[in-house]
Amino acid sequence: MNWSYFSSPSTFYRLAGWLSPWFFALAAILTAVGLYYGFVVAPTDAQQGEVYRVIFIHVPAAWMSMFIYFVMAAYSAASLTFNTRLGAMMARALAPTGALFTFVALWTGAFWGRPTWGTYWAWDARMTSELVLLFLYFGFIALANAFEDPRRGDRAAALLALIGLVNLPIIYFSVHWWNTLHQGSTVKLTGTSMHVAMLTGMLLMAFAFWMYSIGAALTRVRSIILERERRARWARSL
Amino acid sequence: MTTMALGSWPGGFAWAFSRDFRLAWRNPGETVLVVAFFVLVASLFPLGVGADMRLLERIGPGVIWVCALLAAFLSLPAMFSSDYMDGSLEQMALSSHPMVGWVSGKIAAHWIMTGLPLTVLSPLLALQYGLEPDTLLVLAAALAIGTPVLSLLGAACSALTLGARGGGMLLALLALPLFVPILIFGAGAAQAQASGLSPSPHLSLLAAGLIVAAMGLPAAVCLAIRIALD
Amino acid sequence: MNHGFYLWMSYGATAIAIAIEIATLAAGRARARRLIEEERDLEAQD
Repeated sequence: MNWSYFSSPSTFYRLAGWLSPWFFALAAILTAVGLYYGFVVAPTDAQQGEVYRVIFIHVPAAWMSMFIYFVMAAYSAASLTFNTRLGAMMARALAPTGALFTFVALWTGAFWGRPTWGTYWAWDARMTSELVLLFLYFGFIALANAFEDPRRGDRAAALLALIGLVNLPIIYFSVHWWNTLHQGSTVKLTGTSMHVAMLTGMLLMAFAFWMYSIGAALTRVRSIILERERRARWARSL
Repeated sequence: MTTMALGSWPGGFAWAFSRDFRLAWRNPGETVLVVAFFVLVASLFPLGVGADMRLLERIGPGVIWVCALLAAFLSLPAMFSSDYMDGSLEQMALSSHPMVGWVSGKIAAHWIMTGLPLTVLSPLLALQYGLEPDTLLVLAAALAIGTPVLSLLGAACSALTLGARGGGMLLALLALPLFVPILIFGAGAAQAQASGLSPSPHLSLLAAGLIVAAMGLPAAVCLAIRIALD
Repeated sequence: MNHGFYLWMSYGATAIAIAIEIATLAAGRARARRLIEEERDLEAQD
């Protein structure tokens, strides 16, 4: 199959339009099932009571905040290497959703921390680097829009995304490097000590957020494509 | 300058380094501003929080590091912008010297004129904050390793924002989050020493960061300049 | 504060944030369509 066929904005526009409703639908279904597991099946926690149920938003949002940045950086690398417009447009489409999940992770973390650790905020390694990640997203969006020529914004922001990529390992490993408030990771590749219903709820919500992110990015990139390519014949004939 | 081989990395480095150094030497205003800002702001904190020496000793490393960060940040807009405006940046890009060479030279000159004076002055400020001699030494060492990384990261942000709308604010939004890990490890090294722990994990991580930054960022700055010139 | 407050603040803020994003997506689509209309009008004038 000729994959480069899909790197033309007009083709991708149609493909994205066809795909995005399915991703939103999937996200809605997964959210419903995930929240059912989270609130009906999963039992009350022995130590934290009901408030631990924030975990069904907090951890998936944190995972997405890092994952989206990684995908954004991958698109950025591709757009710089192959000088494609679409790669840069996808990176721009992902950034706001990434910023949203970073904010949600920080906010829900604060409202989980208050009843359990006694504080809304602590300057521990993971929280601080997640906050830095939020600023990296803002910086990416600001830089991309700081120039008259959108291609200049594309390329500058793409390079910035790659420079900021070093922050991700710091967030991921910070919990191992420092003895801080954040517990060590309970979900590892080798297994988990969590109750199975809690884990199921968390994983379902993570998938829900993932599907939502793809739907949102595909929708957003369509608007970006239309705006960018509005002088092309195919766009005007829509 | 003409004795250096044309079209070579050291040639380009030496050329850009000596050029920027001489320009700064003739117009020391920028450098003096950076140093004066550093000393001034560091002196403001004791006036603001009171002269409790125990408090000052605790916050000293962090405050001095933040002042170094801000002072380094002040000098960033000017790194490439005057050359960009008058077209000499374009000329340098077209020259036979490999770009990485003269870009590295510029960054090195920037550090000599900002990071190095800050590092040298830091013991004086550390005494103002009542830091112990061993903490003072670790702080100076951390600054010596960390400020070049600030110059490297700052150069990348400065090159990315050449001619951008939003000027200094945009530069702050890009540079300061990237500076944060350096601040954490740099101040952390001195704080560790002050509490009797070993500063070597922090200093090692800073050194590792310097190596990675020195290897990767000059090429990134070159790409950023090329993006700006296209 | 009972634990319900923290749960509501967390889930509520998330729901609001996603609602805002969806509204932004819709606004972006409307804006892109409007720009296309303008291009079409410009072309018709030629």
